[in-house]
Amino acid sequence: MAFRKKFTPKRKFCRFCADEKLPLDYKRPDILRDFITERGKIIARRITGTCARHQRRLTTEIKRARQMALLFYSAVHSSDVKKHTA
Amino acid sequence: MANTYETLVLLSPELAEENRKQIIENLSQIVDKNGGKIAAVDDWGVRTLAYPVRKQTRGSYVRFEYTAPGELVGELERNIRIADGIFKFVTVRLDGQTAPKEA
Repeated sequence: MAFRKKFTPKRKFCRFCADEKLPLDYKRPDILRDFITERGKIIARRITGTCARHQRRLTTEIKRARQMALLFYSAVHSSDVKKHTA
Repeated sequence: MANTYETLVLLSPELAEENRKQIIENLSQIVDKNGGKIAAVDDWGVRTLAYPVRKQTRGSYVRFEYTAPGELVGELERNIRIADGIFKFVTVRLDGQTAPKEA
């Protein structure tokens, strides 16, 4: 088809490599939140562009944050949902 | 062998102020008595939890940072389990990563 244009998506990059100061820490759920879906799943590396090294750490940090109720495991059991149904 | 550890505890929001202080005091003492050294006690105050824990949607966090031999961690966690009003805790060894301190 003639109208199909070649397009180059914006090049992805690892945010943690780009900014050394960006803390990768379970105590910062605000940053971790960028790397989970709205339902709470960890987003794959191929989508976010995070490098392998940082993705590995990111995973453990997200899991720690979940343990401490800083992030929810799934949207269904988050506080927001409970508030509406209670 | 001493390492730097960090323990984050989640306390019940219903705890009276004095009980809260008591718990923090107790845990600090345990670290001191067992050959550790408290580097920081960080009180985050009451926060909304991401999901309800024991039917509570809020809780207060306290973060301890200390240098101690590894055996102390087990002892500290044992005491945390015994103490009332502590919902959750996590201990992490801080190595290399020189305290990225933001709360």
